[in-house]
Amino acid sequence: MNSKTISYILRRIVLAVITVWVVITVTFFVMHAVPGGPFVGEKAISEAAQKALEAKYGLDKPLFTQYVTYLKDIVTKFDFGPSLKQRGRTVIQIIGDGMKTSVRIGLIAAVIALICGVVMGSFAALKRNTIADRLIMVLTTAFVSMPSFIMGSLLLVIFAVKLKVLPANGASAGGMILPVITLSLSPMAYITRLTRSSMLDVLGQDYIRTAKAKGVPRVRIIFGHALKNSLLPVITYFGPMLAYIVTGSLVVEQIFAVPGIGRAYITSITGRDYPMIMGTTIILAALIVIMNLVSDILYKIVDPRITLE
Amino acid sequence: MKKRLMAAVLASVLAVSSLAGCGNTGATTGQETETQTPAVETPVSNPADDGLGAGSNAGEDVTAETSEINVCFGSEPDTLDPALNSAVDGATLLVHLFQGLAKWEMNASGVLEIVPDAATELPAGVENEDGSITYTYTLRDGLKWSDGQDLNSWDFKYAWNRAASAALAADYGYMFEVVRGYDDVADVDDDGNPLHPEAQLDVDTPDAKTIVVTLNNDVTYWNELLAFPTYFPVREDVVGNEAWATDPSTYVCNGPYKIASWEHNSLIKLEKSESYIDANDISMGTINCYLSDDQNNMLTNFQNGSWQLIDDVPTNEIASIKSQYPTEFFNVGQLGTYYVCWNVNEGLLPAGSQYKDDENAKSEIRNAIGLLFDRNYIVEEIAQGGQLPASSFVSMGLTDADGSQFYKNCGVSGSFDGYYDTSVDAYENNFTAAVETLKKYYDYDEAAGKFTNFPTLTYLYNTSEGHKAIGEYLQNVLAGVGITMNLENQEWATFLNTRKDGDYSIARNGWLADYNDPISFLDMWTTDSGNNDVQFGRGAHANVKNYSLDLTSVGLDTKVENGTWAETYDVLIKEIKSCTDKDSRYKMMHMAEDMLMTTGCITPLYFYTDMYMLDDSVKGFFSNPLGYKYFMYTSIK
Repeated sequence: MNSKTISYILRRIVLAVITVWVVITVTFFVMHAVPGGPFVGEKAISEAAQKALEAKYGLDKPLFTQYVTYLKDIVTKFDFGPSLKQRGRTVIQIIGDGMKTSVRIGLIAAVIALICGVVMGSFAALKRNTIADRLIMVLTTAFVSMPSFIMGSLLLVIFAVKLKVLPANGASAGGMILPVITLSLSPMAYITRLTRSSMLDVLGQDYIRTAKAKGVPRVRIIFGHALKNSLLPVITYFGPMLAYIVTGSLVVEQIFAVPGIGRAYITSITGRDYPMIMGTTIILAALIVIMNLVSDILYKIVDPRITLE
Repeated sequence: MKKRLMAAVLASVLAVSSLAGCGNTGATTGQETETQTPAVETPVSNPADDGLGAGSNAGEDVTAETSEINVCFGSEPDTLDPALNSAVDGATLLVHLFQGLAKWEMNASGVLEIVPDAATELPAGVENEDGSITYTYTLRDGLKWSDGQDLNSWDFKYAWNRAASAALAADYGYMFEVVRGYDDVADVDDDGNPLHPEAQLDVDTPDAKTIVVTLNNDVTYWNELLAFPTYFPVREDVVGNEAWATDPSTYVCNGPYKIASWEHNSLIKLEKSESYIDANDISMGTINCYLSDDQNNMLTNFQNGSWQLIDDVPTNEIASIKSQYPTEFFNVGQLGTYYVCWNVNEGLLPAGSQYKDDENAKSEIRNAIGLLFDRNYIVEEIAQGGQLPASSFVSMGLTDADGSQFYKNCGVSGSFDGYYDTSVDAYENNFTAAVETLKKYYDYDEAAGKFTNFPTLTYLYNTSEGHKAIGEYLQNVLAGVGITMNLENQEWATFLNTRKDGDYSIARNGWLADYNDPISFLDMWTTDSGNNDVQFGRGAHANVKNYSLDLTSVGLDTKVENGTWAETYDVLIKEIKSCTDKDSRYKMMHMAEDMLMTTGCITPLYFYTDMYMLDDSVKGFFSNPLGYKYFMYTSIK
């Protein structure tokens, strides 16, 4: 790694911090500008209780003071505050619980997507224009274009209602299977298509022809030369995909009642649980920023022709 | 070549590390499969419990270890602290976890009643000279907390003072307003700090077994309050830790069950508590409370047999569910009313109308429009949940002074219940009469059968298919007579805010009472009430002198002619709250509802029902009118 790359990475890190700060600031003020509050319900609480609660959580202070206090607590103590809705629990605890589930489902889904995608993509490229190739292309087109709520509901009806082989609830044993499949199908299809086209591209390169002419065995050409080079676009796609998939698919978590971060996020917004909204937004933003950075750096490492400046 | 090698290494490292991650996670899932409850296709049975009827559980020999039920009645509860809870699903959990002085029970003949629980009996109160009432309770012997410690009378005293205190600021702190001393306990200054930090409720504990509590005046629902979760005991050393109610390891309770495990947002497992005094009566060993708020997901889990009870069903599926599961779909009465509320300050008359500032005219118009709607159509074709057409604001299920239904005794006519006739046959007449009334105030095109100068209205509702469908029906009916009503929907929290602030003309509304006393429907309409969405006595309406109040018939010398809302309704509610004579009190509550209904600002549509689905195999289940579900005496055949 040369000094240019290092200074690039440092600059990107600074930029990432600024991005997250901007996200915090915008979210904070927009969130408070939206009507409604954490202590409103169908039944109004007494004015005394409302006042006491606002005093307890510092919501009676001027907005800018609240903002400064909030930033200070995060930077100095990594304290995201208490949840205003789930009394007695902190934002960190709730996010921790949600992330555990989301990360587990997300990682499995990502790995399945990666492995199946690469295998199917390479297979399709090698068997170009055969029935198998066409079939894979048709299926992947369908999976890429089908929104997850349709895919999820479809799988739910088939496996949980009709066949009754898998549970419909994410909390039950084996309940993770359907959400994992739903989450993995679309990226898997995308990776398949990426791998196929880049594999076809690579297979047409001069060095492959040279290898063939030299008499290198076909297996070695595929695994030794073609595959690893055709994985470059997949790697760049994989980083951000991982971030999105791991931070929880709101829709999939809702359909399968998976206790992940996505559901916690939605609940916090409808309930105006300010510290929870901030906490989840920050974590999600940071994850995406970091994953993008990592994939950029990975890309540089994998393909030295690219200069990072 | 070297670079390519590096790329290959990287690619494989990436793949391998992800694989390793996969392996780990896979292993965890595998373990869970072994230890977790098999939720799918495993019939939970307990042959020993056969023959357990509703509530008739006493003396049965039960083998609790094998019995287990999977239910879903809500999502992650905001809190399981009895003092802080204000949700129905939270209350269902709490009645399984705690034991108050009284409880709801279904007796042998299938009638719900309030019976003593931690108290030996529920004696009548003794009236003091100043009209206040003192109750003395004795605790049963052998009451224990789930950690084995003895339960004492001062645990109740502590819990009640805590729940009522300004420092805790609980949603339901006002449930203690009937107890003497509440006003001081709950009062705060402008900064939200308690005004009287040392103040206490009038609760005495002369010894470890005796509780003496004094109420400002007699209230008919006092025993019901004792069975209400806000009145459950908690122990001072336990709740000192603010996070006590979020973790099974710190959760100390005194009821039939304790929390065995709590996977947040996912599952709360209740296990029978052996330290509970009546543990022998409890037939269900384990209750798995799945936490979900997705109605479709609930239905799927019920349909495939995973869950035995779900407390909600998708509205658009009700019709097919009813025919598909005739014996498993339930619909029981609830203390609540679905209604349309009008902003009292909204001008309804056309420009230049001679009635512009006539409050009586506006009342008449609102009441007439209320009669244009076919409530039978709404409940049968739209809501479809077995709701009942409403003809009064105080809902069905609330009782009058003599024990009869309050709503049957209100209004003027004896030929129907409530303020107008909701029978199918009466609709046409109501409609015609309403149109005739409206003709007084608006131009009517006889040929087209439409009003031509009715100002455009806007109906506000919170985003939901059910509310939308009702809004569209109302819109449709009004369009039929030439009245344009636009629909506007808002997201829940925004909607609540808009409605509370009175930034609307007509809005969807609903109210569920917390106890069986009509005052729970009436005191919300005083000028300063936080639930006064109609804005009675606020804004321009503060100066409208259009109301009269004559309390001489109940022996009071209050008599107001042409007073403001604050001078009449607010005074009336105050009198009701301090009234010690039962008959007079109920008479005044009828007066209050009469006043309310005359304004036309409340257009009741239907009385709520609680819909749930219960598997045929479950015996011994019951629920109460507040919507709490009771699983402790259930068994699965």
